[in-house]
Amino acid sequence: MKHLVYLIIGIAVTVLFFILSCTDGFNIWEQLFFNQGYNDKMYNLDMYPVIAAITIAVAWGGAAIYYYAINSVKFDRWYHWLAVMGVVVVLAPVICYIYNDTVFANNGLTYIGESIQFEMQTVLFAALLYVIASYSMRWWSSNCRHTPLPQ
Amino acid sequence: MKETNRLKMINMKRLTAWLLACVLLAGLFSCGGHGKLDKAVRSVLVSGDTTRAAYDSLCSLVTENPGKYGDFLTPEGKIDHKKMADFIEQIGANLRPPMHWDTRSYGGVENLSLTVYFERSGSMVPYDSRGDGGQLKKSVNDLINHFPAGSKVDINIVNDGIYPYQHTVDEFLKDRDIYASTAGTGDASYTDFQLIFNKILEAQRPGNVSVLVSDLIYSPKDTHGVSLDKIFNEENSLATRVFARYKGKSVVVQQFLGDYSGKYYPYNNVPFEYHGKRPYYLVIIADNEVMDQLAQDKRYSGVLDAPGVRNSYRFNQGTSEVECRVLPEWKDNAGRFRVKHGDGIVLSKCAGDRETGKLCFSLAANLGTLLKDDALLTDAANYDVQSVDGYTLVVTPIDKSMFTANNKEYLEGMTHILTLTGDLKSPRDEVRISLRNELPAWVKQSSSESDTSAGGSFSTTTLGLEHLLGGMFDAMKGGSSFFDVTINLQR
Repeated sequence: MKHLVYLIIGIAVTVLFFILSCTDGFNIWEQLFFNQGYNDKMYNLDMYPVIAAITIAVAWGGAAIYYYAINSVKFDRWYHWLAVMGVVVVLAPVICYIYNDTVFANNGLTYIGESIQFEMQTVLFAALLYVIASYSMRWWSSNCRHTPLPQ
Repeated sequence: MKETNRLKMINMKRLTAWLLACVLLAGLFSCGGHGKLDKAVRSVLVSGDTTRAAYDSLCSLVTENPGKYGDFLTPEGKIDHKKMADFIEQIGANLRPPMHWDTRSYGGVENLSLTVYFERSGSMVPYDSRGDGGQLKKSVNDLINHFPAGSKVDINIVNDGIYPYQHTVDEFLKDRDIYASTAGTGDASYTDFQLIFNKILEAQRPGNVSVLVSDLIYSPKDTHGVSLDKIFNEENSLATRVFARYKGKSVVVQQFLGDYSGKYYPYNNVPFEYHGKRPYYLVIIADNEVMDQLAQDKRYSGVLDAPGVRNSYRFNQGTSEVECRVLPEWKDNAGRFRVKHGDGIVLSKCAGDRETGKLCFSLAANLGTLLKDDALLTDAANYDVQSVDGYTLVVTPIDKSMFTANNKEYLEGMTHILTLTGDLKSPRDEVRISLRNELPAWVKQSSSESDTSAGGSFSTTTLGLEHLLGGMFDAMKGGSSFFDVTINLQR
């Protein structure tokens, strides 16, 4: 039951993150980095939901791969888990940057510097979501349920 | 056997977890979806490609997917332009900054009709001498041609009365000597403005634009021995009386300069030969809403923004809503601010420049719809700016060299940059900008008190112009300002 609560909380926090990525008034992506022109374009071209979905998919996907695909006693130490997190925090901003750049280029816009700064947030959010996803799904892993911290 | 069951259970759990993640992701993606048409409209608005071709491509998207976008089609399967316009307007309103794309002109809206009243008094004939530039005739031809093909066009000759032109519009356009071909029409010795304006205003039907082509010199009958002051007073009060009777009308007076070769008839009836430039006018009369359409509808952009217009002024202009966008990235910006989205213009988190302490921000505004000349719009003295911290205003016209890929979205469709600078001292401030509604300076500068000789500013002035237009201004002042913009500043 306790594990199911973790899962529900994890999903709820992730959904909340997604909702706050779509809103105009308080947008979670505009709290740590804000450049009026750049962020307005992100909003106008409807990129926030896609960026959020990519980050969520990579973070949850990374956790799912670690706990259910890798799922081996050979890789059940905290640094193995951390290594997957490393892959997640690199992969998410890279995919988001490629997406950003493609959409901007299709609309004749250039925001290279701003996009790089913006993706620093993706690193942070991907890491947080990876931790949330890990604590949501680790309990049913046969070999890695005690990673990163035994409970 | 026990071990196999255990492994099966584990696989089931794994599967459940994966499915859960997939369902979650699918749900998230579907939440963010807006459909192809929505995305296409956003892309057009953001890239500033608000052209006929872009509109046609949106319509193609609708007609190619009638099942999905059936709401935008009429029962006959054609594009419902009203619904398309509403949809585009709705998306534009939710953008940052809110955007507006007038697609009415693409939607088969009924054309306006044009009625030209061509003055044929003695002093008008030398404007169309065979050997001269023929600017007056060209202005009228341009006016007719700026109405879309198929528009109803009527031409009348006016002096002591109004007489229909006896030939076709095509013949009028080709006519190289319009005064010769209309010789003998009416009494060319005087022009009865009271009768002409009354007739024009009375005859005007909805959707009609009436244009009087005239030198606007008031030359009534029997002025022998009458002082100029009396004539001017009479002119002033007749203009007020005539136009005050017709509420809901707007008048635009455009001033041109054309070649003049021949006899000039001054008020003292002692004519003299004059060869040089002289001002002439197009007085455009229409219902307020028709005038607004002329100003905004791109099909008629050449009518009010005609080539050769030296000065112009619109009478009976209310306070307009002017589209303004705060420019987040602009060369003159100093200090920091963040645009709050929602109703009105609010700049939050304002901070002065680190070195000077000043806050400087710029707005792109579309002042084109006000129909004011650039001299008036760019002179900061014509604006009232109220604020606690004493902000000052500079207005500069937008030119194409200012456009970059990243600011195109903000500058597209805008005509001027309003730059405000002030010392950021108060925690909250409200900057109010308004353009005062006054008779422009060019009216007085283009008006003379005597026309008995060709000296001085004769080539650029019209006898008693300020009295005639002043009378019209009294009757059709409109609002106290042409537009008001309020910007709220918060630290």
